[in-house]
Amino acid sequence: MITFAWILQLIFVPMLSPLCIGIIRKIKAILQNRQGAPIVQPYTDIWKLLHKDEVVSSDASWIFRYAPFVVFGVTILVGASIPLFASFLQNTLTSDLLLIVYSLALGTFFLALAGMDTGSAFGGFASSREMTVSALAEGGFILALLTISLIAGTTNLFAISNAEILHTGKLFLPVVLAFTGFCIVLLAETGRFPFDNPATHLELTMIHEAMILEYSGKRLALMEWAAANKFLIFAALGANLFFPYGIGEHPTIEAITVGIVALMLKTLGFCLGIGIIESSMAKFRFFRLPDLLITSVILSAVAIGLIQIL
Amino acid sequence: MDAKKIAQYISSQKKAKNFDTATVFQVLASEIKEITSDLRDNKHLQLKLITATDEREENGCFKLWYIFAAPTEHVFIVPYIELKNTEEFPSLMSSIEEAGNYERKIQTFFGLTPIGHFDNRPLILHENWPSDLYPLRKDFNWNTKPEESQGTYPFQKVDGEGIYEIPVGPIHAGIIEPGHFRFSVVGEEIMLLEARLGFVHKGVEKIFETVSPHEMIKLSEKISGDSSYSHSLAFSNALEQLSDTVVPKRADHLRVIYAELERLANHFGDIGAIMLDTGFSFGGSHGARLREIIIRMEERLTGSRFLRGVNICGGVTKDISSEEKNNLITDFAIITKDFSELIEIAQDSASLLNRLKGTGVLPYTIAQKQGATGVAAKAVGIAHDARVDFPYAAYGALHFDTVETEQSGDVYARFCVRIKEVYASINLITKALTALPSGPICANTKPIFKKNAIAITLVEGWRGDILYFVTTDSKGKISRVAPRDPSWVNWPLLEQSAPGNIVPDFPLINKSFNLSYTGNDL
Repeated sequence: MITFAWILQLIFVPMLSPLCIGIIRKIKAILQNRQGAPIVQPYTDIWKLLHKDEVVSSDASWIFRYAPFVVFGVTILVGASIPLFASFLQNTLTSDLLLIVYSLALGTFFLALAGMDTGSAFGGFASSREMTVSALAEGGFILALLTISLIAGTTNLFAISNAEILHTGKLFLPVVLAFTGFCIVLLAETGRFPFDNPATHLELTMIHEAMILEYSGKRLALMEWAAANKFLIFAALGANLFFPYGIGEHPTIEAITVGIVALMLKTLGFCLGIGIIESSMAKFRFFRLPDLLITSVILSAVAIGLIQIL
Repeated sequence: MDAKKIAQYISSQKKAKNFDTATVFQVLASEIKEITSDLRDNKHLQLKLITATDEREENGCFKLWYIFAAPTEHVFIVPYIELKNTEEFPSLMSSIEEAGNYERKIQTFFGLTPIGHFDNRPLILHENWPSDLYPLRKDFNWNTKPEESQGTYPFQKVDGEGIYEIPVGPIHAGIIEPGHFRFSVVGEEIMLLEARLGFVHKGVEKIFETVSPHEMIKLSEKISGDSSYSHSLAFSNALEQLSDTVVPKRADHLRVIYAELERLANHFGDIGAIMLDTGFSFGGSHGARLREIIIRMEERLTGSRFLRGVNICGGVTKDISSEEKNNLITDFAIITKDFSELIEIAQDSASLLNRLKGTGVLPYTIAQKQGATGVAAKAVGIAHDARVDFPYAAYGALHFDTVETEQSGDVYARFCVRIKEVYASINLITKALTALPSGPICANTKPIFKKNAIAITLVEGWRGDILYFVTTDSKGKISRVAPRDPSWVNWPLLEQSAPGNIVPDFPLINKSFNLSYTGNDL
C-alpha cells in the first residue's frame, strides 16, 4: 500500500497540474461570457509542443539548453516531497520547510538565468522583474510557513500536515492571517494577477512569459509544464499546511481516496479564486507590487506574534 | 465663401485663386517662413499638411503646398512656393516644429532638400532603398525595381550609466502591424522612445497616379483598413469638388450613418482593448463583442464588414430600407443600454482606473505644438473636429456642433473621449435615420474634372481628421493625390507621451492612441 501511495505521490503533481490550468482558463472564460477551450487543452498543448521541432539561438549557452530540465526537475522533486493527499508518507530527507522553499528558489534562479542567456531584451527585463518579485516574495513565503511550523512544532511538512493542533482549529486567527499572506505569495510565485498576466500577448508587460519567450518545442513544453506544476505545488501547500482537513493519515484505500478528493476540492477553490480575481480586476502597476508583497510579510509577522499571545 | 474674412489671411499684394474649400496663393520661397509663422501663430490656423507636386513637365517647377485650416471660416488657406531650377527650399522647422516630418518626407520622396532642417534621415523608406531615387517624381516609373542598397539608420542615443536599450518589433507577439520601437530605459523607466516605421510602405501615393478614378476610391479604402470608409469618403468628397458633382441629400445622410458606424465599431474595439491591456479581461471581451455587433451590422447593410465599396463619386451604392431603419433604431436602443452597463462596471473598478489615470500623459503644449488631432487632441482639451469645423455630408444639416473633450491628456482621458463619442455617434445615427430624406442615393452624372484645379477635403475618421489633397493637370486628369492619415500627425505624440512612464505601461499608452502603421507608411 505504501509503495502504491508513493508512486501516486510521485506522479500526482505532473499528472494533474495541467488540469488545474485548464480549469482556471475555463472559469475565466465563463466569467467573461465566453465558451473557452476544453479543460484538457493544456494537456494537448504540452503534447503538441513535445512533438514540435525546436529553434535554439546560436548565442544560447548550456544554461539555456539545460535550464528547462532543472526547472522541471525541481518541480517534480518538490511535488513529491510535500504532503498532497497522504500525511503518512513521512520523508525526512527532502520535506523540510527550508529545503522546499529554496529548491523552488533554485528553479526560479535557473529560469531567470535562462531568460537572460540569449541576450534578448525581453528575457533581460523579464528576469530582472522576476528577481524583484521573487526576492520580495521570499520573506512572506518563509514567514507564512514558519507560522505554521511554530504552531505544529516541526519544520517537516508531512509532520505539519499531520499535526493534531491544526485539525482542532485552535489558533485559528494566526493560521488565517498566515494563509492570507501565503495566498499573496502564491499569486506572485505562480505568475498570476495582479502580479503577472499569463494570458497576455504584450511582451513589454510580461514577467514569466517573457523569460520563456525564446523557448520552443520540447523545452517550451517542459517550461509550461513546470509552471503548471508550480501552481499545483503552491495550491497543495496552501491546502494541506493551513487546512489539512481530509488528508489521509493511514495507508488505506479509503484514506487515500478521501485525501485525493479533499485536495482536489481545495485546489478547485484556489482555481476559482484565481479565476475570479483575473476576471474582475486589472493588473497592478509594477511598482505597486512590492506594497502587496510587504503586506504578506506583515500578515505573517502578525500571525507569529499572535501565537505567542494566544 | 466669405471673401472678406478670407482676405485677412492673405496679404493684399498676393493674387489668390479660389477653389471650393481652398484659397491658394503663390509666395516667394524667401517669404514662406514668415507667412506660415504668421498664419499659425498670429492668426491661429492649423497646419494640416505640407506636400509637394512635381510639375516640371507642365510648369517647369516643383510646387510646395502649405495647407492651413481656418475652422471658423470653414476654409483652407494654402500658400505655395515654386521651385524653379533649384531643389532646395527653406525649412520651417525652427518656427513650426510639426513641419519637420512633412519636410523629411518631401526630402525622401521628391529629393528636395529642406535647408535648415535638424534631421536629414530619410523617413518611411529604409536603408535598402537607394538614397538617390525619389519615387514621387514624375520621371520615376512606378514599376521600377531598384537594386537593394545597404546602409545603417542612426537611432537617437541616450548616454549614461545604467541606460539600456530595448528594441521591440517590427514583428510583435500580437497580431498587429509591424513597427519598430527603440526604448532607452533606466530600470523600468522610459527615458526616450523612438519609433521607426515604414515597414508597410506600399507606395500608395505613386499608385494613385497610375489608376483610374474609380480604382482610386478602392485604393483609398485600402490605406488604413479600420478607417476604410472615412478614407473613401474624404477622397470621394475631393472628386465631387473637382467635378462639381452635387450629392443627393439622402446620400449625405447615409454617409453620416455609415461613417458613424465605423467610428462606433472602432471605439467599441478600442475601449475593450484598453481594458484588456490592463488585464481587465471582462471589459476586454465585452468591447470585442460590441465591436463585432456593429461590424455585423455593417455587413448586413452593405455586404462589407469594413464598409468597402460603399462610397462612389456622387453618392453611395447601398441604401437603407425603411424596414431596416426601424430595426436599426431598436438595435441601437439595446446597444446603448448594453454599453452603459459595461462602462458602469468599468468605472467601478478601482484597479482599472488606477492603471488608466495618470498614465501616458500628453502635455497640452506638446499637443499644440505638434498639431495633434483626433482622440489624442480632444483628450487634452483641443476642441477640433472636422465634422464641426468643416461640415461635410449631412453633419451641417443635422446640426452637429459639439466636440467631446477631456482635460487630463492621460490614457483615462482618451478612454473617456471615446466613451463620450460613442454616445454622440449613436445619437447622430438615430438622428440621421429619423431625418433620412427620400430620393436618389447617387448623382447620375458622369464626373468630368476641372482643369488645373485643387481640392482639399477633411473628414473626421475615428482616430482624427483625414485629409486629402488632390490636384488635376491641364487636361483635367488627376495628377497628385496626397492623403494624410491622422496617424501621421499623432505618432510623434506617442513618442512624447512615453518618457517618464514604466515599460510595462507602454502597451497601454500605445493602445490608447491606437495609431495606424499603414496609414502612416502609405
